[in-house]
Amino acid sequence: MALRKGRALGRLGAALLLFLTGCAQKAYWLVHPKGAIARTEWHTTVLDVAVMGGVVLVAGGLVAVFLWRYRVGNRSRTYDPTFTASLVIEILVWGVPLLVVGYLSYFSVKSVLATNPYDPLAMRGALARQGRNGEAFARRADPAMTSALAPAMRAPRPLRVEVITTDWQWVFIYPKEGIATVDELVVPVRTPVKFDLTSATVVNDFFIPELVGEIDVMPGMRTKQAMIAGRTGVYHGYSDDYSGGGFSWMGFSTRVVDHARFEKWVRRVRAARDQLSFARFSRIARPTINLAQRVSHFSEVQKGLFDHVIGRVMAGRVYRTPLAMTENMTKPMNVRMIK
Amino acid sequence: MLVDYPGPWTFLLGRLDAREIPLQNPILLWTFVLVSVGAVAVIGAVTYYGSWGYLWREWLTSLDHKRIGVMYCLLGVAMMFRGFIDGVMMRTQQLMAVGPKSPGYMGALHGYLPPYHFGQIYSAHGTIMILFAITPILVGIMNIIVPLQIGARDMAYPYLNAMSFWLTAAATGLVMISLFVGDFSHAGWVGLSPLTELAYSPGVGVDYWSWAVQIGGVGTTLASINIIATIIKMRAPGMSWTRMPIFCWTALSASVVGLSSFPVLTAAVALLSLDRYAGTHFFTPGLGGNLMLYTDLFWIWGHPEVYYVVLPAFGILSEIIPTFSEKPLFGYVTMAAASIAIGGVSWSVWLHHFFTMGAGPGVNAFFSIASMLVGIPTGVKVFNWAFTLYRGRVRFDVPMLWALGALVLLLTGGLTGMMLAMPAINYTVHNSVFVVAHFHNMLNVVGFACFGAINYWFPKVFGFRLDERTGKLAFWFFSAGTVVLFGSMYALGFMGMPRRMDYIPFTSWRPLLMGEEAGILLFLVASYYFVKQLFVSIRDRAKNRVTASDAWGTSRSLEWLTHSPVPFYNFAVQPHINSRDEWAWRREHGLGHVRPDRYEDIHLPDNTPLPVMLGACAFALGFGLVWRMYWLAASGLVGIVVLVIARSFQDGPGHTVPGARIRQMEASYAAAPGEVGAARDPVGGVAAWQTASAPRPRAGDGRPARP
Repeated sequence: MALRKGRALGRLGAALLLFLTGCAQKAYWLVHPKGAIARTEWHTTVLDVAVMGGVVLVAGGLVAVFLWRYRVGNRSRTYDPTFTASLVIEILVWGVPLLVVGYLSYFSVKSVLATNPYDPLAMRGALARQGRNGEAFARRADPAMTSALAPAMRAPRPLRVEVITTDWQWVFIYPKEGIATVDELVVPVRTPVKFDLTSATVVNDFFIPELVGEIDVMPGMRTKQAMIAGRTGVYHGYSDDYSGGGFSWMGFSTRVVDHARFEKWVRRVRAARDQLSFARFSRIARPTINLAQRVSHFSEVQKGLFDHVIGRVMAGRVYRTPLAMTENMTKPMNVRMIK
Repeated sequence: MLVDYPGPWTFLLGRLDAREIPLQNPILLWTFVLVSVGAVAVIGAVTYYGSWGYLWREWLTSLDHKRIGVMYCLLGVAMMFRGFIDGVMMRTQQLMAVGPKSPGYMGALHGYLPPYHFGQIYSAHGTIMILFAITPILVGIMNIIVPLQIGARDMAYPYLNAMSFWLTAAATGLVMISLFVGDFSHAGWVGLSPLTELAYSPGVGVDYWSWAVQIGGVGTTLASINIIATIIKMRAPGMSWTRMPIFCWTALSASVVGLSSFPVLTAAVALLSLDRYAGTHFFTPGLGGNLMLYTDLFWIWGHPEVYYVVLPAFGILSEIIPTFSEKPLFGYVTMAAASIAIGGVSWSVWLHHFFTMGAGPGVNAFFSIASMLVGIPTGVKVFNWAFTLYRGRVRFDVPMLWALGALVLLLTGGLTGMMLAMPAINYTVHNSVFVVAHFHNMLNVVGFACFGAINYWFPKVFGFRLDERTGKLAFWFFSAGTVVLFGSMYALGFMGMPRRMDYIPFTSWRPLLMGEEAGILLFLVASYYFVKQLFVSIRDRAKNRVTASDAWGTSRSLEWLTHSPVPFYNFAVQPHINSRDEWAWRREHGLGHVRPDRYEDIHLPDNTPLPVMLGACAFALGFGLVWRMYWLAASGLVGIVVLVIARSFQDGPGHTVPGARIRQMEASYAAAPGEVGAARDPVGGVAAWQTASAPRPRAGDGRPARP
């Protein structure tokens, strides 16, 4: 019996090892954050697992040792059925979890403030660090501080992006730039990005695992999120909350680029032929699955479109899902698909 | 009509027409064929053996808490298999549909399930496993064990008990029939709002879900009332609060939680139904509705529901571990306190199910700390179980293995639970498969405890032990499956994989999806051994028969004082309680086999068909409402009202079994312990109940018998 138990533990260990070595792979997005907020979230995870892992190991170790020592086949054991209460142990078993929870609560509050989607302190920290680094870099390269390197020191102006989810696409509006895209998010590196989010239909969850945690996207309501990307690259973003048949295809690529490329991209989008009015938006918002993840660009956006969508939804505008679609169990989705 | 919904409507059939029977879908068609063949076989067998009368008299109309409990457990185990098959289908679809190049079969673009069919399957899986598998099994176990542990003849309200069961059965029937008539909800077991609204779910699927949940919710609320009343009012003389077994404490705490939270669910879903039927705007995005209101209400039930199932599981562990450690439970008082504390905290943590809704840091921090508080009493329990083992004599029988497995799972589930309780971590894993892995981890604690309880109390209920070898195989395969499946799933969580995906866009997730599939194959082997265990045990029941009242030799609480299987009257005379572990106390003082010197008349309720009929009416009401066949719904409702009124006029206060007959039966037990009637019946130990069954009420019964 004990042998079997041992074998099971071995198997558990092997699985654990497999998991830990697996963490070295790039596929573990949460383990390899590329932005300040995601990094804070991952650090909190590590801390929590370390503390709780300690408690779990103690408890599991106690159970394992007692099982081994007091198994019925062990002749050298003491058997004492009267040992059923002990004040010292009681104080310990209530006290230790209490202390652990107290300690973790402190970190919970701290990390909640650091990653608060509406005003993440982690981002301020990252900006301050960035500023210091930039300053040091500038001074090293150019002690006289001529104007060419000055922008590196200045805190970058936050980029604002308005996000609207439909069934089942993402519309990104850049209000200052006056442009919009579908299923493509392009942001400059090391720049705070502030999102306003709403949905035209049902609830979704905005999630870019390597950059920022989740925030609900709700119809008729506005939520906010903020992020700052530390490294250029292409990251996957998607909805994390089931929103119907096209949910699995509801991805968007997030391109983090340097400032020059961002400006160039904005110019390119401004040259697009399509424009985004509410009528055009309403056509996009009809149930559509973007199978090929095709990107659309809009050179101009109706002013206040984001608030208008919220207002319309609150006034009862719905984009219905056809009955034939939800009852369909045998045919490919009876829906507009972008291939 | 008050609301617009697409599709035709006729007076007679409502929204139902022939096209709603999905014969064109090969999966459902073959399921339908299989189920039909199975049903014909069962009905044929019952008819062949001429057991209809027996079934009707002894089971379907029974008010005996043990039989109702057994029926609850059978229903739960059957539904667990259904939910398990859903799980296999989901995992297989996810493995088949990885990447844009994966092929599609049977109309799906990728894999073999089109999105809305997949949506129905995961919704059915969740709804079934939580509400119609785990909950009935636990209610069934509480039903059987609580009255025995407190020395009662039956539950406080035997009629209400049967009614609760038949309402649950009616709700289960609605979920099952949705397979073959129409479709089921695709909006998750939580009823994602506003996806459940008519605009986004115009079919009958959400209606099936909502009426099943409402009818089942009423059943479970009534069951909670019954257990609370039983524990408070029906304890045997001498059983003070501090002598009550921990299982009863957890059952009490769970039932208080159930009574206070299930009505919230019923109300929330009723409001949703108003949206769908009367055109109100409680949870719509626009026109004054607020979908977060639904989410709040749902989780105000949803989180306590977790404790509603976890608490009895903790109680089961607290019974099994002392028995197989040959020691009383360590820290009884704190165990009872911790049970109540867990129930208490459970009401104030619901918001951690939606930390990502954009609440301020103050709100999230409050609910974060409240959620972590649950860890304290739970930690206390784990340490107390550990110290119960300390200086014991630990045996590894099958129930103990399941209990220890549950303990290990509780540790890992606690670890990940503390992660989810931190909003900063929660933002990265909320709604991902990490959450799914966490709650399956925790519900597997409950599942392990249930399997432990089935193995542990089986001989008490049926008079013979379950086979040890197949039981251990089932345990090891199930444990291995749990590690492999949910280990992979946790890892996928760190890759950021969302839950409920029918198509997997990233091929990097494939290796771990294969891990999940491997785990579910291990589960498949485990369930084979579980069925084999039942089969082998029933076949070899003569060999496994328990001759003593105490099947394990080291049991502690009161239920082991009476015969195995338990006679319909539970205890020949009501026991007087002298100690916390009454049976252990009597055994240690050499009083284990002392027979009562005097037998008294026992008063018991009559069987009645009204609860079955009530269940049938509730089913008609639900089915009629789902398809908007208003005449059927109205008939069901009228039927319920008429039956309730009829019951209140029924002049049947029960019947009395004379003391002389009890003496006679007790003597026959003493002469051939455990053998009574065994040879006569094909269904194993159930036989002993049949021969020792309550006499059918005759005219004149119901009045106190003359001495």
